[in-house]
Amino acid sequence: MLLKNTYNEFVKILAKPRSYLGIGALTLLIGVILFAMKADGGSFISFVTASFEQTLSFNGNILNGNLIGFIILQMLIIHIPLLVALVTGDLISGEAAMGTVRMLASKPISRTNIVLSKFIAGAVYTLILTLWLGFLALIVAKWIFGTGDLIVLNSDGLVILQEQDIMWRYGLAFMVAFLSLLTISSLSICLSAFADNSIGPIVSTMAIIILFTIIGSLDVSVFDTIKPYLFTTHMASWRSFFEDPIPMSKIIQSVVILLVHNVILVVIAIVKFNKKDITS
Amino acid sequence: MKNLFLFSTFLLFTFFLKAQDADAILAKVVAKINAVNDYSVDANIKADIPLIKILPVNATIYFKQKDKFKVVSKGIAILPKQGFTDMNAFLAKKSSYMVVESGTKTIGDIKTTQLTVIPTGENSEFVLAKLWIDTKRSLILKSQITTRSSGTVVVDYSFADQAEFGLPSQLIFTVDVKKFKLPKSVAADLHDTDNKKKKDAKDEKSGTIVIKLTNYKVNKGINDSVFKEKN
Repeated sequence: MLLKNTYNEFVKILAKPRSYLGIGALTLLIGVILFAMKADGGSFISFVTASFEQTLSFNGNILNGNLIGFIILQMLIIHIPLLVALVTGDLISGEAAMGTVRMLASKPISRTNIVLSKFIAGAVYTLILTLWLGFLALIVAKWIFGTGDLIVLNSDGLVILQEQDIMWRYGLAFMVAFLSLLTISSLSICLSAFADNSIGPIVSTMAIIILFTIIGSLDVSVFDTIKPYLFTTHMASWRSFFEDPIPMSKIIQSVVILLVHNVILVVIAIVKFNKKDITS
Repeated sequence: MKNLFLFSTFLLFTFFLKAQDADAILAKVVAKINAVNDYSVDANIKADIPLIKILPVNATIYFKQKDKFKVVSKGIAILPKQGFTDMNAFLAKKSSYMVVESGTKTIGDIKTTQLTVIPTGENSEFVLAKLWIDTKRSLILKSQITTRSSGTVVVDYSFADQAEFGLPSQLIFTVDVKKFKLPKSVAADLHDTDNKKKKDAKDEKSGTIVIKLTNYKVNKGINDSVFKEKN
């Protein structure tokens, strides 16, 4: 029954125009970035390597598909949560707003399974969005810009990764990026359980992301104790796969914290939906 | 007064002779370099530079007189901006510098003559160059080049089978990295709470690039299109 309901939930997602809005917006955004990089990517690279290039010259195809993929992922990981929340923030509250929640709850399926099926359907949508991002950011970018070594600017300097050492890093990075977006999906579904309209959970999700991101980037000691537990702190941990050596313990810690967030948010959503008064 | 005049004349004469010696030594070196019209060579480039992590890279280097230079590599290769072929091009223009002998130094077990090359033009990119020359073989064994934009680059040369053309088998560049800075807006990891890592190259003042050169093909002719092709 859970699988059947999950399928129904996914069909509902596919039936909403806003679901395609996210994919369309992502395609447009990446298209704009690819165009900009093709037109004037050299100056973007110079900005990064300027202080080195007084003394050193970088030879080879620097502006390649691997670098473009990294730039796109870095730019968009901040914005994609909005596209995820746009769809997943509506999953429960949308039913309440349209008055279909009673009909849904009258089906021979527990409320817990209803929430779980919505969560799984949201996760599938998030996965599709992530895979589409990966396809455009890597496959299309490589087709346009060719392939080559990846030059990454970290806080401790430039890391140049060899071409044959990149794809597995991208694979793992996309998995962690998916987990980060899944956390957004869970958060918006959780908030959706508390609301009776669509816009509230979407705006609240974005407000929480903005608030947590600002707290995370403020270099003030008063927030030091809470920063490691904010999910936004760990949303960029995909980037750690492009360090050398890879800080595995840091990544595992981030993955665990994101997973714990997901579990807690789904549990809260289940508890809330089970107690939700749908008769009035 | 007469003694002072004689002493001054002697000093000037000595300086003139030294300059003549230095000119002759350098002329032999330049003649050797100019005998190479073009070459291609396989290079293994290993860079050990603060703030940059990179594995050794294989590349092919192409050169053609007067100043055509191209590095073709599958990956990203880092080379010093100064000290590769630009110095040779500069030395080839005799009118653009003056040279004086400034001592001797033993490098390995070879006694070298130190020449100081001073550009005559006010706007020259080169500020000063010191060359340590093996006068028996007319080879530059070490150079220290100071430029306006890149600071000081020290190059240690080793020679093997292409010594007759003055082409080295290994180059060790020691480059100035004091100016290296990471652009904060890009480098600042939004979620990185470990600020201790964030630093410029203030602590370390130099980096090295070791280039091993093998499989020289000298004066075999290189098509100009090689230098135009996009890497």
